[in-house]
Amino acid sequence: MKLIHSVKPIHLVFALLLVIAGITIFVLTSDIPPGASGVPHPTIDGLSVGGDGAEKLSVIGKAPYYFQIAVILLAGTLLYMGVPERRRDRLLRICFGIGIAFALFVWVMLFTGYETYLATGQTRVVFGFPVPTNWMFWGIWGSFAAFDVFYMVAFRRYFLHPDDEAAFHALVRETEAEAAQMKNREAN
Amino acid sequence: MEEFRQPIILGFVALYMGICIWVGIWAMRRTKSAGDFFVAGRGLGPMVVSLAVFSSTLSGFGFVGGPGLVYATGLSSIWMAVCSALGFATGYYLIAKRIRMIAEVRNAMSLPDIVFARYGSEAARLLTAGTILLGVLGYLATQILAMGLVLQSILQGTEMFAEISLVASVVISSTVLIFYCVTGGIVASVYTDLVQGIVMIVAGALVVITAAYVFEGGFAEATGILLANDGEDIMPFGTLGAMASLSWYFLFGLGLAGQPHVATKMMMNRNLADNKIILPMTVFGYVIAAMLWISVGVIMRALVLGDVGLPLGNADQAAPAFLSTYAHPVLAGIVFAGLFAAIMSTADGFLNIGAAAIIHDIPKALRGRSLDNELFWARMATIILSVVAATIALYSGQLVALLGAFGWGTFAAALVPVVLIGLNWKQASARAAIAAITLSLAINFAIQLWSIEIPYGISGGFLAMLSSMIIFIAVSLAEKPKPLPKDIDRIMEL
Repeated sequence: MKLIHSVKPIHLVFALLLVIAGITIFVLTSDIPPGASGVPHPTIDGLSVGGDGAEKLSVIGKAPYYFQIAVILLAGTLLYMGVPERRRDRLLRICFGIGIAFALFVWVMLFTGYETYLATGQTRVVFGFPVPTNWMFWGIWGSFAAFDVFYMVAFRRYFLHPDDEAAFHALVRETEAEAAQMKNREAN
Repeated sequence: MEEFRQPIILGFVALYMGICIWVGIWAMRRTKSAGDFFVAGRGLGPMVVSLAVFSSTLSGFGFVGGPGLVYATGLSSIWMAVCSALGFATGYYLIAKRIRMIAEVRNAMSLPDIVFARYGSEAARLLTAGTILLGVLGYLATQILAMGLVLQSILQGTEMFAEISLVASVVISSTVLIFYCVTGGIVASVYTDLVQGIVMIVAGALVVITAAYVFEGGFAEATGILLANDGEDIMPFGTLGAMASLSWYFLFGLGLAGQPHVATKMMMNRNLADNKIILPMTVFGYVIAAMLWISVGVIMRALVLGDVGLPLGNADQAAPAFLSTYAHPVLAGIVFAGLFAAIMSTADGFLNIGAAAIIHDIPKALRGRSLDNELFWARMATIILSVVAATIALYSGQLVALLGAFGWGTFAAALVPVVLIGLNWKQASARAAIAAITLSLAINFAIQLWSIEIPYGISGGFLAMLSSMIIFIAVSLAEKPKPLPKDIDRIMEL
């Protein structure tokens, strides 16, 4: 229990970076299937096609899936570090938990939807685009846009508390006074 | 109206450039010191800052290279755009407040000043300034080249200028850029950014509407064509695949806050509390403007794969070809002006931070004080930097592509750990900052210089950034924590 309490966000960031590095090394050292990053279009210059998507993932499997889970957790932890330590409370942790869970949900829907397409070759088109693509456009963007909205809504509670703003202005006044004193001393 | 297409486009571009020159003259009266020249005296309102932040983020790449990439490789590159909500969030959660506070308390004028204040290391300041200068030269050269190419393509469509050369086009467009940057410094830069941001939002919104009507069945019909031909291109990872797309998401999502031309603008707002509305306005502006990137690319790819349109000679022609074929002449005029706006708003930011690196940061790191008469030398440095970048753009051949590719990844990899983590973790050390910047530069340079192809299309910039973040934390954890200067320690508590 003591160990858990001594873990700080930076330790989690470091661990997640190592996980991401581990997955990346696994991908970099795996065999490369043909057309892993697309193949040139047979007749049109400058255009590439994706080819067989299932074949691309045949060697690395779910590595991209776990990679992005780690990236979402990393992003959430970094954003959490942006809130001053003494302002972090239970409500903040709940809000961040919900935000990160939503981002993970979106990612799961996107990736499983894509896997279904690879398995069946079928997809529904909604708002003009395939469903997994919509999860990318609106979901991936929207899940972190929720953090932008949270910043606006909870600004005075977590990001610039009136007491912190006052403390900053006090620091500015002190610094200016010190600078003025030093100038006087130099003049004398 | 169709017969007046070229004059209308030229008219809009000329009007836009005229506004830039007027802003330059107006801003000159407000620029009385180096502080005004580099950080606008920290007196800007929220609307100006938000539009300046978003417009300098979305460079000419978003209006030309982005649609070209979607045309060529499907939706892979869209991960660079959908990460914007995360990118701006990291910027405002992690650095906007502290960077602004340090700027006021330490009278900082640039990002290297902030790095010095945080770490107390001249070596870290020098490395940051050097990184900025390297990245700026590359980025600026590509923006100047893009500006010249676009102007040349517009002018060649008229009878009078049909034979205009690329050199002449670069000279004309750079002259406007240099004029307002030299006369008005960052004040002119951010107020032209304001105009540029508005033009980009209008252009983005109008182009999406136009693109939706190219096919009778709208985007659904375009999607149907793409699904029938390949399918992977219109799925979330495009033709480049999942790892390429996700590595871009990492690099651009977490790397945006490390872009010095963006971070520097976070020092300029009048009130700290303005950040509350600057963030949502920035995200809103970016997402509207970035819709051009997606919609034009998808429609042009569907037109070519569906045998409705002819293949393009070059992927970067996707946006100009779309505008000349499908957009109303007035819309084409607005979007071409928007294109110049996108390029110039990024270029002016680079000129400003590059000039600060030359006359303020590097001299301070090497001899303990910046140059005398900073304002004069800032203007001189702006001219010299523009001329050097234009020369690289015109005569360096492959070097411009090399330096351009080097830009974003260099900034992100070198500066994200140092600034983004360093301003939120007291134990971060100067030695770690120096190690992270050095390692990231070495990896980025090695990948670009030896054209190392990375499996699965994984971005080289991502590898550099991941490595530098790991080394930064590892070195800091290995060292014994050192006390911070009193003012910085107090700021990091807030």
